[in-house]
Amino acid sequence: MHSIHQDALRIIKKLDDVGIELVWNRLENQEPQCGYCSLGLSCRNCTMGPCRIDPFGEGPQKGVCGADADVIVARNLARAVASGAASHSDHGRDLVEVLSKAGMVKAYTIKDEDKLKRLAEEYGIDTTKKSIVEIASELADAMLEDFGSKKERIQLINRAPRKRIEIWENLGVIPRGIDREVVEMMHRTHMGVDNEPANILLQCLRTSLGDGFGGSMIATEVSDILFGTPEPKTSTINLATLKENEVNIILHGHNPLVSDAVVEAAMREDLVKLAKKAGAEGINLAGLCCTGNEVLMRKGIPMAGNHLIQELVIGTGVADVVVVDYQCIMPAIVDVAKCYHTAVVTTSPKAKFKDAMHIEFTPENAHEKAVEVVKLAIERFKQRNRDLIKIPDVKPVELMTGFSVEAVVKALGGSLKPLIDAIKSGSIKGVVGSVGCNNPKVTQDKSHTTLARKLIENDVLVVDTGCAAVADAKVGLKMPEAAKLAGNGLREVCESLGIPPILHFGSCVDNSRILVALAALANEIGVDISDLPAAGAAMEWYSEKAIAIGTYFVASGLLVVLGVPPPIFGSKFVIDVLTNKVESLTGGKFVVEPDAERAADIIVKHIEEKRRKLGI
Amino acid sequence: MKSVVVFPERCIGCMQCMFECAVAHSQSKNFNAIYEETPPKPRIHVYSAKENYAFPSKCRHCEPAPCLEACPTSAIRREEGIVFVDVERCINCGMCAMVCPFAVVRFHIDWKRIEKLPVSYKCDGCIERVKEDEIPACVEACKVGALRYGDVNELIEEAEKRIASTYSPIFERREEVPENYKIWLELRG
Ligand code: SF4
Ligand code: SF4
Ligand code: SF4
Ligand code: SF4
Repeated sequence: MHSIHQDALRIIKKLDDVGIELVWNRLENQEPQCGYCSLGLSCRNCTMGPCRIDPFGEGPQKGVCGADADVIVARNLARAVASGAASHSDHGRDLVEVLSKAGMVKAYTIKDEDKLKRLAEEYGIDTTKKSIVEIASELADAMLEDFGSKKERIQLINRAPRKRIEIWENLGVIPRGIDREVVEMMHRTHMGVDNEPANILLQCLRTSLGDGFGGSMIATEVSDILFGTPEPKTSTINLATLKENEVNIILHGHNPLVSDAVVEAAMREDLVKLAKKAGAEGINLAGLCCTGNEVLMRKGIPMAGNHLIQELVIGTGVADVVVVDYQCIMPAIVDVAKCYHTAVVTTSPKAKFKDAMHIEFTPENAHEKAVEVVKLAIERFKQRNRDLIKIPDVKPVELMTGFSVEAVVKALGGSLKPLIDAIKSGSIKGVVGSVGCNNPKVTQDKSHTTLARKLIENDVLVVDTGCAAVADAKVGLKMPEAAKLAGNGLREVCESLGIPPILHFGSCVDNSRILVALAALANEIGVDISDLPAAGAAMEWYSEKAIAIGTYFVASGLLVVLGVPPPIFGSKFVIDVLTNKVESLTGGKFVVEPDAERAADIIVKHIEEKRRKLGI
Repeated sequence: MKSVVVFPERCIGCMQCMFECAVAHSQSKNFNAIYEETPPKPRIHVYSAKENYAFPSKCRHCEPAPCLEACPTSAIRREEGIVFVDVERCINCGMCAMVCPFAVVRFHIDWKRIEKLPVSYKCDGCIERVKEDEIPACVEACKVGALRYGDVNELIEEAEKRIASTYSPIFERREEVPENYKIWLELRG
């Protein structure tokens, strides 16, 4: 089965009946997928190659240059980490560039001045007697230094507990500059540079930390400064959040820069009037993937769904515009859109799609361009083909969102102490970050939701982000009522605070919120992150960004369960390091376990072990 | 009768057929195969033909089959056109390999045999998969149509038509390969 959700299954059937090709068909056409690549045993890094290693031992055991399976697998993994870290970090940098102009351009102002000042102070900027605009511009400059090569360590790495920083210092994996580590990784994996697999894997840790405590963390913090630090609120989710009688704008991609501007424009009275003149009852917005998470967390904009919903949303026949920025946007949506009236609008100069419409957003013009997008949606609304409309007949599911670390602390009454007490007393056994994507190789959302259910049953508090968060919300696990599905301890805590047992921490860059929360918890208790009864899971991951996230979790001392095997199994050495030896270095490690029930067992056992060691 | 038919002119040398053949004959039937105690080996191999063109080579399931006739212990048998080795009866004498006109018989330890000794190791037409109504693994793996499974004469007719359509009336060969691939072939030399 392709999905656990009725809304998805119905649209899949609808599209299948008319022969529209979807991600699952394309996967089938690719199968069996290349065994060498699946095992990480192929190398295209130079033109003496391409090379592949025969894992059955008969054929070549070395590339033309002499690289063996261990080197090739490590290098391939390294490039994936570099790409993942680069994606989050480039997203972060785009935000920093806007921060430097905030207050001076129409679309962007400072929404959280307190946070701006706190961050500025963290970066050693004197905030007295300076205007908000000045502070923003100085902070932006300081953050840009984190991307460069002048520093010895990026600023926010200092948020980690002292012990953790010492471990990293001893391993030589403190990131010096966000971009620098990515560039160095690309250098090292060029033919004839780093040919010691263990050394390559260490640089994977460093590069990923430059993402977790660098690019991603900056992205989260600057988004909060520009668009407001999320606070708890409710909203709705699934394909039925699209409205037949309204103009529907789908916000897809990652950065809130575009989606937030479009949300603002869609609320303008003159545009709502224009929509009504066109025969619509109003303008409706629905998010997809991480940019959806961004506007859901901050503005309560309903969520259409996660990664594998992106083609299906067009299949409802009422998606008037899908506006995208970058990352995780399947080129296929342009093809599906051709069968409908839907306009796919790209907005970033670095992410254009063949046959899509391009409306380029800059910090200076975002305000006007957002209006243009809304107007386009109204035009497209008029062109809908009535015969093709079918919104799945399901009810939108309610959800609670908006749990920034600040909001959690506030809900706890101002400090983390009540949470620590609950962990110590055992009402909450531990905390797990459930993160990552969808992958057509896994029944959509099945593993995410099975894992989450089983963890809360065992009194484990789940915080989730990205597509995992969307999955959990869609089955109703993000309402305070879901507390009754939790074990007694967790249930009581949730009920007394009026919160769900699964807290929405945001988008994928917001995995940095998990790092911040765990670092704060560890600091408060006076231990290291690796001592905490905590873990991470990415049960349905697909992207290189998820590899970077998993790696910075492991580097930070967490056990990370991957539900989809990464392409490393061609090297016994690399597997042994990542699933075993790394634990003696960082305290964290990877486990590959596609079965969500078993994954939950592994995590619960790990949490119990950590509790035992803490003597609680 | 259905059989695997090879069209070497279409082979791009990716070796996916080798990979999937090995996996299909493993215990786990997935990539864990490489960690098995007796890892499987491919029963099809891809070598360089003239001018570096790739050439997939496997048992032709001859009839009469020299290997079958040469085998002193009747370890090689035929079922529904497929010539295969009964691993328990093979005494590793090498007769089959000596008489095979295509040099496609090798000797490896087969996990299926109780005694861990090398035995005659060749394409078995994916007899087990075919019984389950699946197509041979190599055919499933080959994305460019170099390996096809079906009625021999039908597949050959298809190929005949394809070849016919590539000739102009003056017998000048019109290439059927895509332009970009053709340019690459030429440049590669
Ligand atoms: S770097 Fe080495 S293994 Fe990779 S393609 Fe070049 S020769 Fe082959
Ligand atoms: S092993 Fe050789 S001789 Fe025997 S059937 Fe196959 S191709 Fe013919
Ligand atoms: S038919 Fe089966 S056994 Fe023979 S080469 Fe193909 S995959 Fe291997
Ligand atoms: S899978 Fe097909 S193209 Fe690839 S090597 Fe085998 S026969 Fe050739």
